Amino acid sequence: MIFRVYVNFKKGILDPEAEAIKQTITSMGYKPITNIVKGKFFDIEVDTNQDYFSQIEKISKDLLSNPVIENFKIIKK
Amino acid sequence: MAGKKDISIIIFPGSNCDRDLMVAINKCMGVMPKLVWHKTYHIKKTDMIFLPGGFSFGDYLRAGTIATKSPATKEIIRLSKKGVPIIGICNGFQILTECKLLDGALIKNFGQLFKCKETFLKVVNNKNKFLKNLNLNSILNFPIAHSQGNFHIDESGLKKLEDNNQIVFKYSSKLGKVDEFNNPNGSVKNIAGIINKEKNVLGLMPHPERAVEKNTSKDGIDFFKSIREII
Repeated sequence: MIFRVYVNFKKGILDPEAEAIKQTITSMGYKPITNIVKGKFFDIEVDTNQDYFSQIEKISKDLLSNPVIENFKIIKK
Repeated sequence: MAGKKDISIIIFPGSNCDRDLMVAINKCMGVMPKLVWHKTYHIKKTDMIFLPGGFSFGDYLRAGTIATKSPATKEIIRLSKKGVPIIGICNGFQILTECKLLDGALIKNFGQLFKCKETFLKVVNNKNKFLKNLNLNSILNFPIAHSQGNFHIDESGLKKLEDNNQIVFKYSSKLGKVDEFNNPNGSVKNIAGIINKEKNVLGLMPHPERAVEKNTSKDGIDFFKSIREII
């Protein structure tokens, strides 16, 4: 079983890297692109027959994301 | 400060300001601190704990995050509840926000550059034991060296910090002007250092331990002498 956890900044949190990527894309000529949200994901392999979603949720809250600045989303693959 | 006191510096893999801090504490506070490895499960008697600057665990995931799961950090949390004074400098401040002993978060600097420069800090609040011996509105010259020192907190969190007198240092000009021109990293309201609600945990991004030698600013001496009085 694999869970994918997506983590990205909450709206309004300054992300200079995403801003630099957006500016580069704009300079490449893709004018309609107005915003880029950058994030990361973790693929977590779990070896169990039991439902492990709540544990992955706890890991996401406690370690993978910082609730002050980031959101997370879990998808079971 | 009466009697022999124990001061601890917690070292994580990637800490790199621990030795400078040890020298500064010894010189300014008259105590040779103990260096405590992060895998220590039980910190016995200690009167004060420092978390040094550096890049604990390579800043993986987020600066300071992995260090929050070290056994010694669990001890720090336990001892903080008992009122032991705890001071985090630079990466130490990041660890303290990540383990929720301090509010807010430290995100990438505005402009994405690593900032290594002298800064001036204004003491905006001295109604706490750490800074009660420093004059209100006095200016301290400490250097910064970080890429993730941009202090972020939402509006309600900021109001709580202000209402509880938890903001202690702000980046300013040499003459004490607090504005965007004297904000090196984009921190909300130029915040450079805060304390917790109980006022026994202090975090700051600038490095007082790099301001105690004859060829540097000497304002760090005032800082360490001020906190020496509380133990």
